[in-house]
Amino acid sequence: MFAQALSAVIETLINQFLKYNLSGTQALKPLSEKTLTVKLAELPFALSFSVSDEKIHVTTNDEHSDCCIITSIKTLVELKKEQQLTDLIKNDKLDIQGDLKVAQHFANIAETLDIDWQSELAKRIGDIPTYKLGKIGAKLLKKLNFATTQIQADASEWLVHEKRLLVTAAEIVSFSLDVERAEQKASALSQRIDELINQQTKLS
Amino acid sequence: MLINPIKWGKLTIILVNSETMMSAHDQNHQTNNDNSDENTTHFGFQTVEKNEKESKVASVFHSVAQQYDVMNDLMSFGIHRLWKRFTIDASGVRPGNKVLDLAGGTGDLTAKFSQLVGREGKVILADINSSMLNVGRDKLRDRGLVQNIEYVQANAQYLPFEDNTFDVITIAFGLRNVTDKDMALRSMYRVLKPGGRLLVLEFSKPEHELVNKAYDFYSFNILPKMGELVAKDGDSYQYLAESIRMHPDQETLKAMMDTAGFEQTSFKNLTGGVVALHKGYKF
Repeated sequence: MFAQALSAVIETLINQFLKYNLSGTQALKPLSEKTLTVKLAELPFALSFSVSDEKIHVTTNDEHSDCCIITSIKTLVELKKEQQLTDLIKNDKLDIQGDLKVAQHFANIAETLDIDWQSELAKRIGDIPTYKLGKIGAKLLKKLNFATTQIQADASEWLVHEKRLLVTAAEIVSFSLDVERAEQKASALSQRIDELINQQTKLS
Repeated sequence: MLINPIKWGKLTIILVNSETMMSAHDQNHQTNNDNSDENTTHFGFQTVEKNEKESKVASVFHSVAQQYDVMNDLMSFGIHRLWKRFTIDASGVRPGNKVLDLAGGTGDLTAKFSQLVGREGKVILADINSSMLNVGRDKLRDRGLVQNIEYVQANAQYLPFEDNTFDVITIAFGLRNVTDKDMALRSMYRVLKPGGRLLVLEFSKPEHELVNKAYDFYSFNILPKMGELVAKDGDSYQYLAESIRMHPDQETLKAMMDTAGFEQTSFKNLTGGVVALHKGYKF
């Protein structure tokens, strides 16, 4: 039943996004009665996206589809970089069966989603509260970004200097140089030993 | 059998000659695992004449039709939506399919099927009860679902369709109210296309004894009171609880489907067996 709950939530979210999309549901027309099935390694069931009546229906039925993508969530994120498509297929991280155009159309819809959240919110709660909320939101976001940067800096300082659990970048460079020098010395010594052995062999 | 279809907008009322209906009914052998003799059956915990059950069930559903959806959400805490979603997922329905949503009532399954079968497909919402059918028709029309749905008032035991008509037949929370379940299953088998599948979503027997006891307490103490409060009809919900207990359990219903001719029959328990989805194919 988790599968059905998840598909219901995804379906509701997608259709809400489509409802608020500035370019409407026009992009769905070429996909009418087409189905894209996505099989993710992280999920024990498939998710099928079917287009009908300017809506996307999400089911867990994979008995028939126009295009089937077999991959993982991590690979889907990587898919944003188009040039990686061939590499991902070659490395068996992605398998596409059926009509690739269907998958491309779905990807285009996701990319071209353009929602004016402020206008949508203003329709429900009014202009002034939306403006105020927007300002509060922007302030919160700014503070959150600052806090994130600050926490990262403090945490790294604490780990490196206070607890000495991690080493600094300079220490890593210095260590690498030392290793390199030791490697060169070992190599020179090995060469010298080889030469001495050769001399010894000639003398005997 | 005489079938007189009357077209009223998109609602087709099928009137079956009662004498013929009774005659066919009498010829059928009751094979349910209850102890009723050939002329009696169960209406909840009561034993009634077979010809009485239909009208008694009808009065229950005439009474609850308007509040049916609200009560479903209340009684199941909204989980009935997931059970129905599970049924839709198991149907494998695709564009162009012809679907019969039997005992479809207020049209929850029909709404989704209508969108999935597309313009080339068709969904028949059938119910024996005119009040339920009217509520369903109004609800679907309000949602703009009109183009590929037909409404038929029909008895599941005497389906007024040609042989091999449907790709998928569903009956959700309806079979337990049918007077002669075996006859209804045979009728469904007849109208199903070869390769088609039947899905029976129905209350069943919980798998664990503890769940069973909690479920009994809920059904007989809380449910009728909720019915009284919300739908002003505690008796109908008392019947609902009783009819669930009298319905065949998972294995028995599966055996009944086998007997009716279905192949590769299976069932899947949902919510610990409170509800089960039975599936069978016609090849």
